Amino acid sequence: MDGQNWSLRVRDLVKVFNHKVRANDGISLTVEPGEVYGLLGPNGAGKSTLVKQVIGLLAPDSGTITLGPHDLVADPDAARQLCSYLPQAQMPVASFRAREAIEITGMIRGGDPEAVARRRDELIEALDIGEWRNTLGARLSGGTRRLVGFAMVTVCPGRVVVLDEPTNDVDPLRRRLLWQEVRRLGDAGVAVLLVTHNVMEAERAVDRLALIDRGKLLAEGTPSSLKAEDRGRLRLQVMLTPRSETPELPPFVQHHTRVGHNLMTVIPEAEAAPAIGWAQDLIGRGLAEEYALGATTLEDVYIRLTGDVEAGGGASE
Amino acid sequence: MTALAPPAELRRGLEYWWRSYRMMLRWEMTSLRLVLPVTIMVQILSGAGFVLALGIFFGQVPPRAALFVSTGVLVLTLVTIGLVLGPQLIAQQKAEQTYEFLWSLPVPRTTAALAWVTTNFILGLPGMAVALVVALLRYDLDLHVSPAIVPAVLLTLFTGTMIGYAMAHALGNPMLIAAITQLLIFMILGFSPINFPAEQLPDWLAALHRWLPLAPMADTVRAGLTVGVVEDVTRSYLVLGAWAAASVGVTAAVLGRRG
Repeated sequence: MDGQNWSLRVRDLVKVFNHKVRANDGISLTVEPGEVYGLLGPNGAGKSTLVKQVIGLLAPDSGTITLGPHDLVADPDAARQLCSYLPQAQMPVASFRAREAIEITGMIRGGDPEAVARRRDELIEALDIGEWRNTLGARLSGGTRRLVGFAMVTVCPGRVVVLDEPTNDVDPLRRRLLWQEVRRLGDAGVAVLLVTHNVMEAERAVDRLALIDRGKLLAEGTPSSLKAEDRGRLRLQVMLTPRSETPELPPFVQHHTRVGHNLMTVIPEAEAAPAIGWAQDLIGRGLAEEYALGATTLEDVYIRLTGDVEAGGGASE
Repeated sequence: MTALAPPAELRRGLEYWWRSYRMMLRWEMTSLRLVLPVTIMVQILSGAGFVLALGIFFGQVPPRAALFVSTGVLVLTLVTIGLVLGPQLIAQQKAEQTYEFLWSLPVPRTTAALAWVTTNFILGLPGMAVALVVALLRYDLDLHVSPAIVPAVLLTLFTGTMIGYAMAHALGNPMLIAAITQLLIFMILGFSPINFPAEQLPDWLAALHRWLPLAPMADTVRAGLTVGVVEDVTRSYLVLGAWAAASVGVTAAVLGRRG
């Protein structure tokens, strides 16, 4: 390490589109080197707008973004050199062989040719995509292309690596390999900014996270600190009979959302027995088909704070 | 495992610029790998085809017409790449949303632009050369090749490429870019004094072309290949130079702009 503190500091960031849409409305956050930091929020929350300002593609209306000694708003060239970016859209690698795409990006990022070649081979092995090493991008499946894109932006990582929905289309086994590589980036001192609306994955992968909605930061902390308020509560999930009305809820239900036939409720632990009784009664009367009782998750926090019903852990837009 | 070393300081200076240029050129050439041979073939065939078609249409081609078409076709092969194909490729990047990744790459913007210009040269020059050879074989042309052909070809290619580049980057909507390039093909092929003298156009259109870049492109290239055909080539260089400077200025402003 060079003794420099490479924290990414975002302060009072405001970005307004067309004079009216406040995509970022006074966001402040700090990401330390080595940290995997999640930006969580529903579609249109302002997550991508935030990271595009960090990497120098958009200029804020007001506020500051600094990375170590560099002012990234004033110096977008520095932003591009110090940040690597995996966008949510597919990478333009149709006519590149997988290994070539990774290698050329590494060279563009200033890597030494031999080191780039070594790290390229390691990433190909670590992500288990060796089978497609010499395959043209146009012939790759969406998930493999995504993994190649991940390797492209991390072969010579910047101080900050921005990953916008990195696991989209990736199969479950290789998702785990990808998260291992994300962790290795953190171990090497890289700050990872992970944009996602996949709550379940974020809970496992991040050190800290910010919950963003309508351009504002609603909450920030470790996954367990964010769930602290839900301590002593349980989630009772009831699968209602198709086309049935939402039944009358007992008074101890603290929050509820219904998506399709899925009724999600949060209840105090002490009320577990009557809650089970209530759910069994619904099944007995033919209003519900099954139920499940479990610990609250980050998803419950997310739903409570954003009031958003589409937070289902789905991976794609 | 290789040590991952995030950058400690910024890269600056000539070596950084030169390496970035070479890498972006490699990126562009690899990006076009699947279409490169076909595109160069199409350029060669359309250039040579245009020259030969004139003879098929008219049988006996007057020497002056043969001279105009043979020298004009060179300009057509040079500008269709930069003004038409180039903007369409950028429109495609915008439509496929790959544009943002490309502009997040840590290279000086000038290297990306120059790599693009170089790519256009590589695509455009073979077609031009073949068209010239075919014209020489087919018609008994009175050509006097002078060193002035070099700056004329370079400036024509550069200006055409930069106008297309500036337009494609300045316009946000890929559909609009595609529509404008269609209109440009129509303008270039049908209503521009490239393959024929400006006198054959209505006065107002001829006057307009004195200030548009296409006629000056044809004049400068033709002046590098003939003697006594083009008048006042200095003016053509000045108009063309002004278009080149303006398109570079627009490109710099657009690429420097952040939304």
